[in-house]
Amino acid sequence: MPSTPLANGVSPPLCGVERTEVTASSTVADDKPGVSMMEQLVPEITTHALSYLDYPSLCRLSMTNSLMRKAANDDNAWKALYHKDFTMEQDGITPVNGWKAYYATTRAIISVNTEFFSIIRDRALQVMARLWLNSDYVKCIHASGELFSGYNEVMQSWQLCFNWEQGFDFQVHTVRTRILTDMAWVTMKAYLNVDGGPFLITNVFEFHNGRWHMVHHHSSVMLIDDQQVVVH
Amino acid sequence: MSSSKKSSDGKSSEIEEAVASLTMPFNKILLTSSDGESFEIDEAVARKFQIIAHMIEDDCAGKAIPIDNVTGDILSKIIEYAKKHVVEPDEDEDEEAKKKLDSWDAKFVEKLDLETIFKIILAANYLNFEGLLGFASQTVADYIKDKTPEEVREIFNIENDFTPEEEEAIRKENAWTFNG
Repeated sequence: MPSTPLANGVSPPLCGVERTEVTASSTVADDKPGVSMMEQLVPEITTHALSYLDYPSLCRLSMTNSLMRKAANDDNAWKALYHKDFTMEQDGITPVNGWKAYYATTRAIISVNTEFFSIIRDRALQVMARLWLNSDYVKCIHASGELFSGYNEVMQSWQLCFNWEQGFDFQVHTVRTRILTDMAWVTMKAYLNVDGGPFLITNVFEFHNGRWHMVHHHSSVMLIDDQQVVVH
Repeated sequence: MSSSKKSSDGKSSEIEEAVASLTMPFNKILLTSSDGESFEIDEAVARKFQIIAHMIEDDCAGKAIPIDNVTGDILSKIIEYAKKHVVEPDEDEDEEAKKKLDSWDAKFVEKLDLETIFKIILAANYLNFEGLLGFASQTVADYIKDKTPEEVREIFNIENDFTPEEEEAIRKENAWTFNG
């Protein structure tokens, strides 16, 4: 009984266990001389086996040869990895450049977003000045409830913020991103200390000159007993 | 008691089966590999293989079941694993047992070469043995983890068939993973 390998691009849906059909001639080593075991294995159980790889491994596998490249760049595999590493959200969408590119860009945005909080912790004003887009439409709404508009005002507000004695070390959770071609928005919960509730933050980034720049930051105001707490 | 599968051997294996069905203890199942090796196992162990569990449910399995796609050496390894995993310890309730089992699993796979692991993956998929399929897949994934593409090629005997232009395109395509 000849085996019928899955055509590339037609992968079985990935869930916990999806049983794919394996027929009799899957005995390896005698079928094609010079073709590695991996390549004989791959058409049969592609998505399932690949689902155990992390993103660097999946990328490196795609760099080994053309057959592996096709398999490891499989859109469903990257979609599954996205759901595993980031969120189950956006399950129904199809990214313009495919899921691998979407995963890569998501990593990049999360990295920039993390850097934003490092800057705050280290009070690195110069780095903050490079992160923001130098433009008149950028806006920043601090946890104090104040709105600053335009690059200069925004930078001044950060300078004021950093003049406090210590940097704020936020613990950031529940980061969710949504990315379109040149724009991304990120929501998150930032905790300052153990018993405080989170600041709910939205950051928006735009892609210019090969880099992601912050164009909008909006933090919720901290409330204790319905009283607004002025942080800055 | 007849079973509904065809046998390459014709009459003699039908007779064998009939004899097996009559003489085997109630809760045992006989599995026969593609190369004629037989394994008598508890029904509980056999049920780890979904494909067999369904046959038992549908009552269409005799007590002797041929496994056409799997050779004896691989089948014996799979059964060895299945026996150890008949009862999966709950991580929360019995941490000690889980640790012991993990340690056994590690030793089990340590002794196997890559080719055997691949064959186990194929067989576990055929038998629909989720636990082993996952474990074996994870093992292969661990082989690849943190290796360069060149190292991965060596491990799996993959031949590089990219043109220099393709190499360049691929480097760009994957540059983002090497940026820490």
